[in-house]
Amino acid sequence: MSHAIAKKVYIRNELGLHARPAALLAQEAAKFEAHITLAVEEMVVDAKSVLDLLSLAAGQGKTILLQAEGRDAEQAVLHLENLFKDGFGEN
Amino acid sequence: MTGNTLTGIPVSAGISIGQAYLLGEDHYCLIPMQNISKDLVEQEAERLKQAFEKALEELKRIRETIPVEQSEHVAILDVHIMILNDPKLLSTTQRYIHEMHLNAEWALEKGVTEIEKRFEVIDDDYFRERAQELRLLTRRVKNQLIGSPESIKPITSRVILLANNLTPADTAELDASKIMAFATVQGAKTSHVAILARTLEIPAVAGVEGLLTAVQDGDIIIIDGLKGHVVVSPDDDELTQYSDLKYHFEHYRKEVMRHRDLPAVTTDGHKIELFANIELFEEVSAVFDYAGDGVGLYRTEYSYLNRSDLPSEEELFEEYRDLASILAPRSLIIRTLDAGGDKIGQGFEHLEEENPALGLRAVRFCLRYKDIFKTQLRAILRAAQLENVSLMFPMISGTSELREIKKILEETKTELREQSIPFGENMAVGIMMELPSAVMIADILAKEVDFFAIGTNDLIQYSLGIDRTNKYVAHLYQPLHPALIRSLKFIVDAGHANGITVSMCGEMASDPYCLPVLVGMQVDSLSLNPQSIPAIKKILRNLSLHECSNLMERILESDSVSKNNQLIRDNIFKKFPDELMFYSSMLEREEE
Repeated sequence: MSHAIAKKVYIRNELGLHARPAALLAQEAAKFEAHITLAVEEMVVDAKSVLDLLSLAAGQGKTILLQAEGRDAEQAVLHLENLFKDGFGEN
Repeated sequence: MTGNTLTGIPVSAGISIGQAYLLGEDHYCLIPMQNISKDLVEQEAERLKQAFEKALEELKRIRETIPVEQSEHVAILDVHIMILNDPKLLSTTQRYIHEMHLNAEWALEKGVTEIEKRFEVIDDDYFRERAQELRLLTRRVKNQLIGSPESIKPITSRVILLANNLTPADTAELDASKIMAFATVQGAKTSHVAILARTLEIPAVAGVEGLLTAVQDGDIIIIDGLKGHVVVSPDDDELTQYSDLKYHFEHYRKEVMRHRDLPAVTTDGHKIELFANIELFEEVSAVFDYAGDGVGLYRTEYSYLNRSDLPSEEELFEEYRDLASILAPRSLIIRTLDAGGDKIGQGFEHLEEENPALGLRAVRFCLRYKDIFKTQLRAILRAAQLENVSLMFPMISGTSELREIKKILEETKTELREQSIPFGENMAVGIMMELPSAVMIADILAKEVDFFAIGTNDLIQYSLGIDRTNKYVAHLYQPLHPALIRSLKFIVDAGHANGITVSMCGEMASDPYCLPVLVGMQVDSLSLNPQSIPAIKKILRNLSLHECSNLMERILESDSVSKNNQLIRDNIFKKFPDELMFYSSMLEREEE
């Protein structure tokens, strides 16, 4: 059974989704089977690609729509949401 | 100007006519772009994939060698590993093999360019600059692809080298004797390619938009490093005209060089010292080659660039000491760090600066990061045991800032004294006059320092409120604006009234057309790129202080830039027909 799930997340850490958090996010996203995307305004990128994540140029305070589709979509969103909540361990 | 002429910034004088040689970014065109046959597509895609894997292994090996205490470097490398391992990167580049049947080298180039384009539109500097990291990283992949050096197409005959941009790493691999001239899409007067071209005494034009699409490999082109033109596939008339100009210019240059060792004095005996601006240690040889009186501006940023750590005091001390001892007894003026955190080392907080030119740079940066500042001050003070060394501070905006800096300098001296480390107690200390606020209080500042150095590039930008690298307003960059002339005169007079010398660095000091004005206001010395010294000296030796003072009087009364240009042309340059032919300047810019 396939799941699709979406959740709004905020960027809390001061530097935004800069290189280190982007790398961490892509690395964690890659652990899931689900197709995971991040959307800021009309821009949608692949969460498993660090280059995609960097090209979002998402700074502190930005709202991001986290979407996942696939068998483990729910776990993926939950896990990645925690990274955002935690400010990627930077705050 | 005809339709086949492209225009850029003239960065090294001269005329060259020859065959174009296109150097793709990262030397890609050393390997020709090829279409591969359909049955080899999978094999080529696999070759690219393996190159990625090997580059990744290489990066991981490097990561293993980094000691644990440098954990921030490990973090950076981890990000790089993630980027190189990004499936998007491989699939984007492989698509050019699958869909366009390109060879792996060019597929990589095209794919990276595609990704870079997505970054170019980002208006946040930090994220935009990540694309450069990507570019550097993919060089590792490229190196894996190229593998054996014999696959590089050597330059066999003398050519005119065209590229998007050239880095020191690129030019290190080139055989300089095979290059007649350069033209690049990026870059400006102070770019690496410009400095290299001037050192090699070959013409160069930078900032030429559309260069790589207008010119094909092997085309006959003309590089006009005097006016900043690139003529593509010239017709017979153009060839005749430029051959003629080339002959005249080479003759003129020889004459200039013959007289380079004569003293820099006017016909009525007024002496102006001609110093060199240098950036790289190696450029010191040019000071001797072009008979400079010393170094009037040593830019110290280079030692901080392109590295992940900061230079040590010992390293800087050795650099400054060696430079000073080579130059002695000629003077060496060292300028303290004139950059911001974005340019130097790593590990600085990323600042959101809307206007970096008005932001945390130069002494402002140094006052925030006092450790970095003190390390440099200690190195300069120690080098100043050699008495030809002096120090100057950039971007001074007022007295409290200056006093705070001087306090730190005194503290540094005290520390050295306590540690019994020898240094130059009597080193002269000057400041750059490059902000309008400093100009207005030049009479006050003059009482606090040993000399002034006018930095015209910044002073003009800040006074006229224009960014000269912005092509939409570059025409407003006018050194002879009456406001500038008054500012310069005020600085010189304030300096002299307080018994200190006033020098000028910045491009205005190397502009032949500005020279009579600077002589007229009695600037004590000029500091310019070393290669321009002989030509400026030749003009100087044919001017009199008397005529320049008269000109100055009239310019001070004039109310417009065009009137000033006309005055200089009519009164002075009538007797310099060669210079009028060879030097483009604001006299011309205004007519365009």
